[in-house]
Amino acid sequence: MKHAWKTVIASAAIVAFGTTAQADQLQEIKDEGKIVVGVKQDYKPWGYLTSDGELAGLEIDLARDVAERLGVEVELVPVVASNRMEFLSQGRIDLIIATMGDNPKRREVVGMIEPNYYAGGTNVLAPKAVGLKEWEDLRGKDVCALQGSYYNKRVTQLYGPNLVAFAGIPEVTSALKNGSCIGFLYDNTWIESQLASDEQWAEFEMPFPTEDPQAWSIAVPLEELDAPYGKLMSEIVTDWHKSGFLIERNEANGIAPSPFLQEQHDALQ
Amino acid sequence: MAWTHSQTPPVKGHLPVLLPLRSMPQGLPLQDRLFNVWTASILVLALAAALITPAFAQDATPGRSAFAILLEWTPTLAKGFGFNVLISILSMAIGTVLGVGLGILQVSPLRPVRQVAWVITQFFRNSPWLVLLFYCILLIPFQIEVFGTKIPFPGWVKAVIGLSLPVMAYMSEYMRGAILSIPTGQWESAESLGFSRGQTLREIILPQTIKRVLPSWMNLYAVLTMATPLVSIVGVNDVMALTRAALSAEGRVDLLIPMYLYILCWFFLYCYPISALTRWLERKYSVKL
Repeated sequence: MKHAWKTVIASAAIVAFGTTAQADQLQEIKDEGKIVVGVKQDYKPWGYLTSDGELAGLEIDLARDVAERLGVEVELVPVVASNRMEFLSQGRIDLIIATMGDNPKRREVVGMIEPNYYAGGTNVLAPKAVGLKEWEDLRGKDVCALQGSYYNKRVTQLYGPNLVAFAGIPEVTSALKNGSCIGFLYDNTWIESQLASDEQWAEFEMPFPTEDPQAWSIAVPLEELDAPYGKLMSEIVTDWHKSGFLIERNEANGIAPSPFLQEQHDALQ
Repeated sequence: MAWTHSQTPPVKGHLPVLLPLRSMPQGLPLQDRLFNVWTASILVLALAAALITPAFAQDATPGRSAFAILLEWTPTLAKGFGFNVLISILSMAIGTVLGVGLGILQVSPLRPVRQVAWVITQFFRNSPWLVLLFYCILLIPFQIEVFGTKIPFPGWVKAVIGLSLPVMAYMSEYMRGAILSIPTGQWESAESLGFSRGQTLREIILPQTIKRVLPSWMNLYAVLTMATPLVSIVGVNDVMALTRAALSAEGRVDLLIPMYLYILCWFFLYCYPISALTRWLERKYSVKL
């Protein structure tokens, strides 16, 4: 047992030393011929699993495009909000494209690539019958939410709903349909595409003006942000906006048109 | 003589002797007659039917039935389940080997060795499995470089290590108990025959512990298998993670319960025979006075 721990500690030291010694992750990716990208597998239609076990969605398209531009193979690793940044700093993945909101706290941990590739805001999905009109209507009501969403705290402080947090979207939608809560506090892009594409939401609406716009970023390890790798990623994202690739992929994946993407596209012309 | 050939010869069994008590093949205890594989599977099937049929009926409008969707996802989910089984087998193997060693150390004649083994056993036996898993996932690097060659440590390997630690601790306790349950007379006779301690342990004591440990060991395996969905929490793509992904891809509220029930049935079908066999072994090896 003692010996095992020694081995673990020694190897951790080797790896730590190894990562500081490696200068250029871009070169390493090219040498290996493979980029490992962390993506969501439970966030349809950005990243989801098809029934034959393949990953698909907007962010998977983006990951494949990155690999194509680098001339390497792509390996997709499913991540969740709680492990994606650890995976990146451990070196398990090279890149995060996983609906990650850009905020100052996270910027201390990972290298957020600018420009942002997507943006979403906060809104609520609620049955039309409830008749919500403005955010203040939520005060004191039971509202479903997803554990670990960044906007839970802000909305609770501002409007005082009684949040009922679940672990996953299927659980939340089930609770919403059972009437356990009057609405689902979530990302407006997701709500819009659900309302547009799925008839099970025919009796539902998105009653409020979207608040607190939050930009999403792809991320590289913090120390790579100003290295050639980070710079190249930044160029790629700029080109996605400029060429209209993001708008086109957004539409191809059946997501409601995003004003943010249009704005970025127009600004770069 | 009173007995001659003309008189009644002494027939075997003629004299009144005390016959050995013949143990009647006893019927199973009531609880086993009630809760056996047949009742259980009928229950599960009935439950499944009750839950899937209404979903099946009301779903004429949205398109595919819940049953068809389950069928469609089965290959993907099966792969995930295979992964769970693989993780459970590997953790069990590693945990057993380490646990037997640790258990033997727990009865070592050297006091410090005994104490260290005891501390390790107690520590891992009394820690929540999920906490051990988190430690393994976060502390073990994703790859180890030994003499220039990189040995990758993917998440599932770390999960195997994380789950094998509690298995090791339980196994260690089972072994200690089994070794101590063997009458000390055996040690003494072995010593008088000139066996060394190692020889006694290897050739006399350990073979006898196998049948004592076996039922608990199999029980532990069933428990471990049912604990493997924990690895989905630490980011391993097991059957639970895939089920969640499937549910969110389908986006159908009515699928939630049938889908989880379906996975539950798989675990049940895998674990039930093991626990049934365990009970049979326990009965077979139960102490006969």
